Amino acid sequence: MSSAASTASSSFSSLKERTSLLRTYLYRYRKLVFFGLCSLVLVDLLEILPPLLLKSAVDSVMASEPYAKLIRFALSYFFIMFLQGFCRWGWRIFLIRSSMLAGRDLRGDFAEKLFGLPASFYDKNRVGELMSLANSDVESVRQFLGPGLLTFADSLFYMATVPVAMYLLSPRLAFIALLPIPLIPFLVWKLEGAIHDRYKASQDQFSELSAMAQENLNGIRIVKAYAREQTQYTRFRKLGEEYIRRNLRLSRVQSSFGPLMDFFASFGIVGLIWFGGRYVGAGVVTLGTFVAFQRYIQKMIWPMVALGFAASSYQRALASSARLKNVFRQNSNISVASDPVLPAGFVPSPRARTAGRIEIRNLSFSFPADETNRLVLKNVSLTVEPGMRAAFVGRIGSGKSALLSLIPRIYPAPAGTVFVDGVPVEAWPIDILRSQIGFVSQEVFLFSESVYENIGFALHGWDPKEKESVIHAAAFSASVANEIRGLPRGFTTLLGERGVNLSGGQKQRVSLARALAAAPPILILDDALSAVDVKTEEGILRGLRERASRNTELVAAHRISTVKEADRIFVFEQGEIVEAGTHSELILKKSGIYSQFHEEQRLKEDLESYMDALDQKLEVRGAP
Amino acid sequence: MSSTLDHYVEVEDFKSKRPSIAVVAKVIRDLAGERTAFVLGAILVFGGTAATLYEPRLFGRAIDQAIIPRDNSMLARMTFFYFGLIVLRITSMIGQQYAFEILAQSLMQKLRLRIFSLYQRLPIATYDRTPVGRLITRLTNDTSSMSEMFSGGFVTFFGNILFILGSLIWLFALNWRLALIALCVFPVLLYFSVRFSRKLIEAYRDSRMRISALNAFLAENILGMKVVHLFNRIPFHFARFREVNEAYSFSQIAAIRVYAYFQPLITWCSGLGVALVLAYGGAMALGVNPTGAGFLRAKITPGELVTFISFLLALFQPVREVVDKWTVFLSGMTSAERIYGLFDWATEMSEDEADLENLGGQSPTILGRIEFENVWFAYEAENWVLRDFSLVLEPGMRVGIVGHTGAGKTTLISLLLRFYEPIRGRILIDGRDIREYGKRELRNRIGIIQQDVFLFSGKISDNISLWRGDLRGSETTRAALTRMGFMKPVETELDERGSNLSMGERQILSFARAIEKSPDLWILDEATANVDSDTETRFGRALDIETKGKTLVMIAHRLATIRKSDLIVVLHKGQLVEKGTHGALLRSGGYYARLYRYQEAVEAVEKNAPPIA
Repeated sequence: MSSAASTASSSFSSLKERTSLLRTYLYRYRKLVFFGLCSLVLVDLLEILPPLLLKSAVDSVMASEPYAKLIRFALSYFFIMFLQGFCRWGWRIFLIRSSMLAGRDLRGDFAEKLFGLPASFYDKNRVGELMSLANSDVESVRQFLGPGLLTFADSLFYMATVPVAMYLLSPRLAFIALLPIPLIPFLVWKLEGAIHDRYKASQDQFSELSAMAQENLNGIRIVKAYAREQTQYTRFRKLGEEYIRRNLRLSRVQSSFGPLMDFFASFGIVGLIWFGGRYVGAGVVTLGTFVAFQRYIQKMIWPMVALGFAASSYQRALASSARLKNVFRQNSNISVASDPVLPAGFVPSPRARTAGRIEIRNLSFSFPADETNRLVLKNVSLTVEPGMRAAFVGRIGSGKSALLSLIPRIYPAPAGTVFVDGVPVEAWPIDILRSQIGFVSQEVFLFSESVYENIGFALHGWDPKEKESVIHAAAFSASVANEIRGLPRGFTTLLGERGVNLSGGQKQRVSLARALAAAPPILILDDALSAVDVKTEEGILRGLRERASRNTELVAAHRISTVKEADRIFVFEQGEIVEAGTHSELILKKSGIYSQFHEEQRLKEDLESYMDALDQKLEVRGAP
Repeated sequence: MSSTLDHYVEVEDFKSKRPSIAVVAKVIRDLAGERTAFVLGAILVFGGTAATLYEPRLFGRAIDQAIIPRDNSMLARMTFFYFGLIVLRITSMIGQQYAFEILAQSLMQKLRLRIFSLYQRLPIATYDRTPVGRLITRLTNDTSSMSEMFSGGFVTFFGNILFILGSLIWLFALNWRLALIALCVFPVLLYFSVRFSRKLIEAYRDSRMRISALNAFLAENILGMKVVHLFNRIPFHFARFREVNEAYSFSQIAAIRVYAYFQPLITWCSGLGVALVLAYGGAMALGVNPTGAGFLRAKITPGELVTFISFLLALFQPVREVVDKWTVFLSGMTSAERIYGLFDWATEMSEDEADLENLGGQSPTILGRIEFENVWFAYEAENWVLRDFSLVLEPGMRVGIVGHTGAGKTTLISLLLRFYEPIRGRILIDGRDIREYGKRELRNRIGIIQQDVFLFSGKISDNISLWRGDLRGSETTRAALTRMGFMKPVETELDERGSNLSMGERQILSFARAIEKSPDLWILDEATANVDSDTETRFGRALDIETKGKTLVMIAHRLATIRKSDLIVVLHKGQLVEKGTHGALLRSGGYYARLYRYQEAVEAVEKNAPPIA
């Protein structure tokens, strides 16, 4: 007894838990939902009256009653429909709109959550999956809150009223007419399941078909090189044939769905004619009742079908909200300092600049998404004084990029290991910290906006005049201004899929310009100019020394030319600093990694200068 | 109201215009190919509609001829007949849907195959300038929306129009006077239907465009989230998202509004119609004439009156459905226009040429003498990638090609495969201009291994045989696989993008793929750039065996791999700058010699440093 009660209460609390998301958004628009449901109740109540009026009218004609009575029926019929029209307007405006608004809010809340989640979350979750959450899962929740709830409420009201009216008119006839009706929700439930499975099977095949076509187009060079056009065509044809087969399998259930429902209800009408016809003849019921019953039976089909639909809509919404809640539950592991600290003398203002002293103390680090906890940095300590340019050298995976990403807190460093002007990075207000740092990585990400908007990324809300001059100056400092002017629409040229595709080097320079536009005191270049040729790079780096906001620069690179002017060079190997010093100090250590690296670079530059000479020697000819 | 993210979508894709006559003609021509299903479906639509139209009439007849006269045997017959009518209606409803589904599916499969076959025959130059995504959209989304037009749209659209017309005829046949009175509301309804349908199309298009823009924006932000964070842009980007999200729900609600106004209008019209029928029809049945107009002097039975009301009530819902399906029809036609537009594209070979099965047996053996005669080539006008390039390779020769990125090495290979044609000069194989060879037979004689191995999803064996037979030359291939130490069973399914294979294994796989077609001419395009030295050694040994006596062209980044070549050619900006054996080139002290010394230094650093854990 008590265990049953506890099971019930625990299943109730689990139900409460599972529906929490649905209830949140339903509650938010409770007024609209309330008005919507009220309109719905009115629509359904008014729906009972027309068949009754019809009955009275028919009976009145049959009894040859005075014509004035008929006119009254006609007028009230029109009046009822007039009212019902208003209510129909009401439930759409209130209920469906509330679900659109709830869908909008849920989509917005989900996006807001996504915007707040850190890099480590995105290391683990793929764009495709997140987009499917933002789309189909949000939509299935919305579908339930709107049409799902509506059909559910609608069919409940119907079932509470129409059979009552029928029973009051004639209990016997009501029994006969309603006999096949309860089969309908059962059938809907069964068929809905089959439709859902078959629909999924067809969708799966469709994905496979598109995936195959996509792969074929991506690998078209291989297909052509191996003269496999026909083989691929045959594969595609077979996938298409299977797709047809599954679609027809779906269609067999789907196309019989509506008609079958209709069939069951029509049974009621056959019964009505057979039995009702006799009852009218025997005087048990009037002809009017007989006619009213025909209308009622027609009206019972939809709510029964709707009940089945509502049930499956609810199931889907629950599954979707569980998936959405998984993301809502994610914590941002970039914690916001509860008691933010700023360096002494730093007064936050839009143009405030920090001194830029960077200190790393006994830092060991592994990426949060890496389950093996492999240390990419081992016990690293270093200091970079304001005004210094520090360079980081080492092979891919040696830890230099990881170190640099900890300063603007792309990944969280262990507390008390990374300091900017004496304050641990985790104690800084994160937006102020990031506004002090210009971070440019090797992997460039530009948005599908104009070049102008991309470079002015950090200048939101600036005076347009000032913004323009800053953007042009930044493009000039990054040695990309001339190339931008050469684009089809200059600075307003759109980038990305629907715009212009820049070369790798151009992208890197635009990305540098984007960072420079914010005039950050600390500039971090993580192999940021790898696709830019050596001469241009040297020019850019020289120019950076003169920039007005310059304080500290941290530069990671593979090229000696990039780092040799640095005030201090750190050589990384397997997460540790193995050599440190200036260029001239480091090349003295003949067996050191840096000096080998330097020799390699010298030979490379020798080759490159030979190529330049070659260019000049070869007369660059046009076509004959 | 314009949204701020419009540049995130191809606005053109959302416009559905009135279909042009030419497109309608093409659709009809294709429909004619599905005559059986179409005729069957049409007959069923007619039959079903006729049954639907007769049902209310029969109900009325039952009242007049059986119930009122208390004729029970007549009632039994009519009940039976009514049941038969229902069965007829239900079966033809199911049948017509299914028939049109078959029609749509078969039509779409044919169209998809036509598109796919076109894609297989497009020249590589077309692929260079067309995003794959757009081609896929034509093949999948556009065919889907066309198929929706044929299956769902056609039946409902024409079925409903037929029903409306049939009902009107019935109403007039039953009692034209009453019909005129009852239907005085109908023109109003039609007028508003057309107006609402226009608004609806607009609202739907707006909302689809906005959700696409919103999705494109969100997807891009997810990819670039790091940048958004670093520049403290979260609030601004979220504000933009919210703005468009707002606009999206606004246009969704606009569509809801249209419905919200349309539905009551239908209710009012039908209410007014029924009320009028009750008033005037009732008067006719009672034999009174309240207005005294001669026009209304007519008799009507109670059964007819009930039939009349049934028709009238059933008449209004189809109007709404026709309005709904009009959008499906329009977007289907727009897709049709886009698809048929594809078939005007130029292809590199005819359908017959692409259709040659069993190429291996038919194509001639190539001895392997290759001549480049003053070849000039540019992808874009005047931007020369190859300038006056001439070179002769004798059969069985091993040639290394060296040069910086963009020197034109890979272009040479694309020209050999006839992915592009030289703009000036020509290429000869065994003394014959390569343009005289069929594209497919030529390509089939060339074995090519590239740095980026493109893997198809499927089994390893599928990736080797490329779905042609069951590992045709399996013994040679299997022997080669074993020799190279490839241990995975060929039945292994590959993960996404072959992530369960190492770089070396992928390279071996692409080698095995080439061995399968036992080519006469071998090309290696930086084939071992990503491979560890151990695999490289085994790879090299297997290569020596497989390519024995065949002409072999190797493009190499790492010079160690081409040291032993009979001839090494240095390309620079599309021109041949050095040519000779390894020894000779080293001695001449040019580009090759410098590149070689640099690479030695790089290897020294790599040997010195411990490997990355």
